[in-house]
Amino acid sequence: MIDDETLATLIRVRLPDARISVRDLTGTRDHLDVTVRSQTFAGMPLLDRHRAVYAALREALDDGRIHALQLTTLAEEETP
Amino acid sequence: MTDEELKAEIEREIAAHTILIYGKGTKEQPRCGFTLETIEFFERFGYPFEVIDVLENMPKREYLSHMTDWPTLPKVFIAGRFYGDTDVLEPMAQSGELARILRDAFGYEPESKPTISLR
Repeated sequence: MIDDETLATLIRVRLPDARISVRDLTGTRDHLDVTVRSQTFAGMPLLDRHRAVYAALREALDDGRIHALQLTTLAEEETP
Repeated sequence: MTDEELKAEIEREIAAHTILIYGKGTKEQPRCGFTLETIEFFERFGYPFEVIDVLENMPKREYLSHMTDWPTLPKVFIAGRFYGDTDVLEPMAQSGELARILRDAFGYEPESKPTISLR
């Protein structure tokens, strides 16, 4: 279980300009659909974008605050 | 099992299956929503694929995470290359890139694309 603010703070440690939207998939706040928008992603392969977000959330994934994460990563001008 | 043995086992598995999913549970009995989603994802393409259950095998999970620099399951390999999960593959499917990668990997067009799942 993790609140939106904590999640956003963790992601912004790595991606300071990130705009983040979170959808709680199960109502338990640990299965999340997260969209991260950052200019850092421009020209970056999808695999590496996701690695960057996973790295930022490593601790929360390891300690079980986030059990499942569905991820969309976009550069500023991109549409999902 | 030593790291060298794990590495050899994983390399064997990756070499043996053009599409390989390391997941939680089996193809018949997926034990995680994302593993099920990945199975359904590949059923759309009409190529054979294998699912290897690593749910209970922590040393192998850790080795795979370290090897791929990717912390979560499922993990998908196509023709020996790591592609992450369906969050990465879905946009590649939509752009047509994945169909090309699969055609090159298998060397043929899929015979028939199943429209319904028989599981």
